[in-house]
Amino acid sequence: MKPGPISRALLAAAIAGAALALPAHAQQDASVIQRATELRDAPGTTGASLGALAADSPVERTGERKGSWIKVRTPQGTAGWVPMFDVGTRASAAPAAGNAATSGLRSLGSLFGGNTGTTTATSTAGIRGLDAEDIANAQPNPAAVTQAEQQRVNAEQARRFAGAASLQAHQVAALPEPAPPASTSAPAGRISPMNENISPN
Amino acid sequence: MHTIPIPRTALQPMIRAAIACAALALAPALVQAQDVMNLLNSLGSRAGGTSPGGLIGTLTGNNSAPAAGQGDDLMGLLSRSVETIDEPHEIDIGRQLAAVLLGSKPLYPDERLQRYVNRLGRWISLQSERPNLPWTFVVLDDTGYNAFAAPGGYVFVTKGLIDRCADESELAGILAHEITHVTQRHHLQAMRKTAQSGMLTQLVASQIHTNGVGNLVASQILALGRNLYARGLDQSDEFEADRRGVALAARSGFDPYGLPAALQVLRAAAPGNPQFTLALATHPPAEQRLDQLRQAMGNRLDGLSGAAPVTIAQRLQGSASAAPAVAAAVAPATDAKPAKRHKKK
Repeated sequence: MKPGPISRALLAAAIAGAALALPAHAQQDASVIQRATELRDAPGTTGASLGALAADSPVERTGERKGSWIKVRTPQGTAGWVPMFDVGTRASAAPAAGNAATSGLRSLGSLFGGNTGTTTATSTAGIRGLDAEDIANAQPNPAAVTQAEQQRVNAEQARRFAGAASLQAHQVAALPEPAPPASTSAPAGRISPMNENISPN
Repeated sequence: MHTIPIPRTALQPMIRAAIACAALALAPALVQAQDVMNLLNSLGSRAGGTSPGGLIGTLTGNNSAPAAGQGDDLMGLLSRSVETIDEPHEIDIGRQLAAVLLGSKPLYPDERLQRYVNRLGRWISLQSERPNLPWTFVVLDDTGYNAFAAPGGYVFVTKGLIDRCADESELAGILAHEITHVTQRHHLQAMRKTAQSGMLTQLVASQIHTNGVGNLVASQILALGRNLYARGLDQSDEFEADRRGVALAARSGFDPYGLPAALQVLRAAAPGNPQFTLALATHPPAEQRLDQLRQAMGNRLDGLSGAAPVTIAQRLQGSASAAPAVAAAVAPATDAKPAKRHKKK
């Protein structure tokens, strides 16, 4: 039997749902070099160079990290280390990441605008994280707060944990504040309809 | 001079209608203006030690209304400069916001993980500017990737975030970021801004169908809390929490690159991945946050990044044997109930 238009739509929806439900790491290999850099045989600038990596060249993360250095593999199969901040994602080059944010905000706006009939795209995906809808419908649960407070630890317990974990406190100076990012477009988190009457800072 | 004869009987309904119209049109503006006036006035009146009429007085039209609930002077407090809110009140506000978050997702039912995150977070908080707050760390039973804080020392991370941390330094970086929101009082600033903007009455009104809370002040706090966590903080506050959080994690002995590594996970999330939607919607783009950190960090902290990574699973295993002894030694009389799934409606 030939699929009618309705079953086709259902199928498409099912596929879309399945795609959304894919684990996050399935998409994390779409890494590219953001700034031209060297591939090194060890983490740190003392590692020997295995070759230059041009901006935009694709790499695959191995998941290994040592401080500010991460291990990657080139399409040719060479593995080596590059500075973490020199690696980006393909999605981060395109404004795609912003789309996720704005779609989230769109649903947020309708939640607080009293539009009760709205279903957000994310709630149809089957698996989703805590989202604006959960928060909009939250009823206070003070009993759970009391329960959480019973899990508090005191300073002495924390110090004992740190000792067992060989964690030592260091003197670290405050980091300098860089110039804020150029506000080329309305950034995420600021464009909710609810914010229009709030002067940002 | 002459008047146009209109029969009295016809005139009265017209006047009544006109007055009603005017009243309807003015009502929202009046209420908002009075909110702001009351908020500002209470700056002075609070000093005299009188019970603040504040918003509850305005909204009920009865300034001598008896306290309708524990929260009523919290709203009055929000009118003041955030620095003048004393610690007990700050904790009280935080407690109510924590109840909103725990109303959206329950506690993750694993006491060992909750205790681990409390020890880790408490250790980091000890290196912060406010080491003596009653810091409370909570793992939320949620598959999404997110973290929250509330005034007075409440910090939340989702189980989904913990599962996606490649090592402990990433979780430490996230906790340090949230701890910084608390120490810098970012949430109080944001709530105050909303209260002063006159948005509060609209927020309360728009949530009437979901708030289900009898008393007005409780519903105001609820409205503010929901607004806050769904909307997020100011961008500049997020950048500050990143920057100070990195330094705080380093101060606590962790690899300072844990937070940037966690932000790379956030950045790599596929657009539309529902596990990341809220975190992305309520924060500046991860790309910008990473770029700000790259500039702030330079190679200043590279000397502190030599430690071998420890996974959370390794740490949980290592502390498993020590945990009961510690708990028994320090908290002999706590009513440590087995962590049950909290499904309160």
